[in-house]
Amino acid sequence: MRAAYRRFRSNGAAVWGAAGLGALVLFCLVAPVLSPYDPYAVDFGDKLRLPSPKHLLGTDFFGRDLLERMALGGRNSMFIALVAIGIILILGLVYGAVAGLAGGKLDELMMRVLDALFAVPRLPGVLIILVLVGANGNIFTVILALSLFSWMTTARLVRAQITTLKENDYVRAARALGARPHQVLFRHLVPNTLGILLVAVLLELPGVILNEAFVSVLGLGLNAPTATWGNIAQEGLGRSNPYFLVLPSAAIALFAVAVNFVADGLQDALDPRRENVGAGGAWNPLQGFIRPAARVTAASPGSAQ
Amino acid sequence: MTAFVIRRLLWTIPLILVVMLVTFALMRGIGGSPFRLETGGVPYALQLRFERYYGLDEPWFVEFWNYVRHVFSFDFGPSLVDRYTTVDEVIKERFPVSLELAALAAAWAVPLGIGLGVLGALGRNTRVDRTATVAATLILVVPVFLFSDLAATNLVYKWGVVPAGWDSWKARIVPSLVLGLAPAGYIARLVRAAVVETLEQDYVRTARAKGLYQDRILWRHVVPNSLVPFFSAAVPTLALLVTGAFFVESSFGIPGAAQYYVTAAKDRDYPMVMGLTVVLAVVVILANLLADVAAAMIDRRLVEKKA
Repeated sequence: MRAAYRRFRSNGAAVWGAAGLGALVLFCLVAPVLSPYDPYAVDFGDKLRLPSPKHLLGTDFFGRDLLERMALGGRNSMFIALVAIGIILILGLVYGAVAGLAGGKLDELMMRVLDALFAVPRLPGVLIILVLVGANGNIFTVILALSLFSWMTTARLVRAQITTLKENDYVRAARALGARPHQVLFRHLVPNTLGILLVAVLLELPGVILNEAFVSVLGLGLNAPTATWGNIAQEGLGRSNPYFLVLPSAAIALFAVAVNFVADGLQDALDPRRENVGAGGAWNPLQGFIRPAARVTAASPGSAQ
Repeated sequence: MTAFVIRRLLWTIPLILVVMLVTFALMRGIGGSPFRLETGGVPYALQLRFERYYGLDEPWFVEFWNYVRHVFSFDFGPSLVDRYTTVDEVIKERFPVSLELAALAAAWAVPLGIGLGVLGALGRNTRVDRTATVAATLILVVPVFLFSDLAATNLVYKWGVVPAGWDSWKARIVPSLVLGLAPAGYIARLVRAAVVETLEQDYVRTARAKGLYQDRILWRHVVPNSLVPFFSAAVPTLALLVTGAFFVESSFGIPGAAQYYVTAAKDRDYPMVMGLTVVLAVVVILANLLADVAAAMIDRRLVEKKA
């Protein structure tokens, strides 16, 4: 563990990513506490202002303080993303573990179903769920819709890992000693999958945040007065001054890149055997949102990519 | 090779069926019937007659079979919102526009991406590389609605440099470029990594030792051999194009399918949303297939691995 920490520390991009992420989270947590403004107080006399000493990040169309709203929006967006990540983790772990353990025909069938799910483009899929559930602007509907189309990569990675692990001597020994399947699973297989699981789930995070923004900008996310980065961006559309759109977009992009650097650094730190692909490796800031090409192919030969 | 193509082609049929089954299950999952309203509606006896007439009293697998049959004869049913249009008409009118937009965007993205990627790989770890990498990352992670909204508000509506809509060639340049940016960034990253790897291969060193010109080594030996990951990038690229189309079409007022999809989704026009989804999934599956075949043609080893 300490060695992993040292490897992480020596990775410049990962440290910068962690610092950026920490700064963003800190800003979202602390700013609303210190700010004197009400994020929902409308003041048309003071609308669409650029940054000034009075309003450090300016005000939006309704005269609401943008610093306050960016921080609150960040809280909401990150909360949505974190819960979605939790669901992705559980779905991916269960599905992948069942397929990996079962092997044979069932495994084959479950992987084919995954292929079919991959064929539904993500954003339209999310929109369908939102339409069908129909509870307009409900935060948990949004979370559910975002996670239902993002767990497949995680499931594949877990399945690949478990398929490899279960042939290991120590697992066979445990089984020979009479361990029950669930004991083998929870004592021996799952703990050894956690590293991969953590990285896979972190890599989905930028995609979830981006898709939340996309859904909000299309007008199908959380309802209007609630601040999320996507909603703030939506209110910035079509303004003659680009500032009101650039601000939330920059926050989203910064978050996505920072998380990705951290995930990449973790991946290298947890698995020293992994070849260091360096700064220009095929890391993918939008994984989860678009499919990673190389890694998934390696994990599942025979998949219908 | 032929066997490989045929097998992959046959695989797409169950894949399409599963996608249809999922959309059908979702649609059925919302329950209800078009003839049973919360308040009023037609008399009960009439409801039953209508439901029998439209086959809505059948068990789910019969209904699914009916749906599949109709879809395969290109009948996606009527719109629930606009009684004068059918889903088929919308697909026929709007899908070609979106396909053209995506194709033009790809035409921007491929040379831009390959150019940026090769540039970065050749100047490995120099300032050129860093600039190219930062540029590629920026156009990939900055949400597409920022670029599309800025371009549309300023170039089209404020300064009137190019017209809105999709009617003239002039109107098509900017939207397709904006849509191509994110895929270009993605391709650039992949190509850079692949070219860097290829540059270290023995046969490249041999070519260099033979005294071949750098240009010839690059375009004859390095780039073609770096294109396999490029083909496996086809599907993520397509996903980026689909997502981007939602924003580019609405910013520039392009009458495409993606813009209509959002309208239909907001109006809860179920058959419309389902029909557009099925067609979109078929397009994605076919693109998938083409990319696999193309990759297998370059690297024959993939035929055995994937068959």
